Amino acid sequence: MRAHIVTTVLRREWSETVRNRLLMSTILIPPMVLAIGPLALAGVVGERALPDALVTQVVAQRPDWANFTASELAGAFAVQQFLVFFLLMPAYIPLSIATFSIIGEKQARTLEPVLATPIRTAELLAGKSIAALVPGVLAGWVTYVVFVSLASIVYGPALFGVVTDASWLVGVFILGPTVGLSSVVAGVIVSSRVNDPRVAQQVGGIIIVPIIALTLLQSTATLLVGAAGYLLMAVFVFIASLVGLRAGVALFDREAILTRWR
Amino acid sequence: MTVPDPVMIRATGLGRRFDALWAVRDMDLEVFRGEVLGLLGPNGAGKTTTVRLLTALIAPSEGRATVDGLDVTEYPELVRSRVGILTETPGLYDKLSATANLDFFGRLYGLDASTRAARIEHFLRLFSLWERRNDVAGTFSKGMKQKLAIARALLHEPAVVFLDEPTAALDPEAAFVVREAIETLRRSGRTIVLATHNLDEADRLCDRVAFVRGGLVRVDSPAGLRGSLGGHGVEVGLTGVPSPAVLEAARVVPGVADVEIAGDRLIVMTAEPRVVTPGLVRALVEAGAAITEVRERATTLEQVYFEVMGVRPDHDEAA
Repeated sequence: MRAHIVTTVLRREWSETVRNRLLMSTILIPPMVLAIGPLALAGVVGERALPDALVTQVVAQRPDWANFTASELAGAFAVQQFLVFFLLMPAYIPLSIATFSIIGEKQARTLEPVLATPIRTAELLAGKSIAALVPGVLAGWVTYVVFVSLASIVYGPALFGVVTDASWLVGVFILGPTVGLSSVVAGVIVSSRVNDPRVAQQVGGIIIVPIIALTLLQSTATLLVGAAGYLLMAVFVFIASLVGLRAGVALFDREAILTRWR
Repeated sequence: MTVPDPVMIRATGLGRRFDALWAVRDMDLEVFRGEVLGLLGPNGAGKTTTVRLLTALIAPSEGRATVDGLDVTEYPELVRSRVGILTETPGLYDKLSATANLDFFGRLYGLDASTRAARIEHFLRLFSLWERRNDVAGTFSKGMKQKLAIARALLHEPAVVFLDEPTAALDPEAAFVVREAIETLRRSGRTIVLATHNLDEADRLCDRVAFVRGGLVRVDSPAGLRGSLGGHGVEVGLTGVPSPAVLEAARVVPGVADVEIAGDRLIVMTAEPRVVTPGLVRALVEAGAAITEVRERATTLEQVYFEVMGVRPDHDEAA
């Protein structure tokens, strides 16, 4: 694989992405909301105490929170819910970019001239995938850094410790990119079969279902995932992504694009 | 010093199947250096498949093909670096400027920065697009887009250029502009394969024409194809329906093969119209004919097409 070709594809992808206002709004607005939302919610919820039964359930799963005051525990429980939202960015942003990019090229019929050059399909796929993956992952990371910076000002040391503990670091910096990868794979597979980016995003949106399920489990304190849990999920998502990538590469084959993509 | 092979493209028994359907089969074809070859055929005849096979975009199911001596199956990347292709639709990035579009492709072809800049300027000036170089392609007219796509196909100075339906869906003015651009290429001595179903375009631009319908039906020069269909004739306009005496006078003129009446006109079939015409006019006047017009009547490529492809203009060609 030739790096300069991948870079060329990457530059063109990004130069088109920044000209797409709809796409840019879906990339930029949610991170801003996510950076501020948890802070506001934790502030409100932190004023109240959790019901006793919930306290028992939460502390059983997170013994490291046992020494928190009632308000700290309520704030920690509330803010912990938002970790999964930081996984949504690497999930939906790459999906949006990949589907817009691939289906956009299908609709404009721009792929054939590109495939008529000496480019290898792996290079084209790599360029497109990286172009889709990086903004989503970076958005997740940057939002987290902004969130943590604000948290260091707004929260007390207990809550600041919660949002910078191992579960958050593994979730944001390891599980996030793997979720992003799975999102790109879903985008490639779905985009090869449909001709409308919105349909592709709806179909590809299935990738978000496990994240929503995780949110529900955490919000009821049925399951509060720790660092080991997020790491395990990252390994599982990564393996699933590699399996999906094989299918994606087959669908992204030069002949398949020219003769089967409709 | 080695003399380059005069054959730029050589296909031998070339075929491509999609599932059970053969799009192209048993194609034997040679395209010579500097030649403009037209690929003519109805929709679904295999023109685009042939172009894709010869540009190493898809692999053959049988047979082989070489471009500039390189086998399309063994060296697909090298083949693609030696050919330029104008696809059926321009396929430009509408949000990028003309320069950015060309620069992207220049990079994919591995051209260095100074070469890219020089060639982009050269081709944009050649196709009168230089003044619009910073405008996004989405604002261009169809003709301008097609010219920009041709510039893109030429950017890496390919040995052979494939133009797939270059004037399809263009208005007459835009089609004229694109044909002028192709004429410019032709004059520069470039090898061109022109897939079209515009017979007039093929007649005007091509050195040879290949009729394609699921394979190669026939290939020859436009003149050769016309000659094979009975050659030329002379059409004589009269003031009224020709009398039997006039008809007989025309028939006995040396060199006349046949004479037909079409209303107030005589259609005189002959292989050598310029030789026959003076004696024919003299004989008709002596027979009492009042002539209003005499003109050479050449067989059109359209007539040849219908004859060779075995279809009639009033029948569905897609059958």
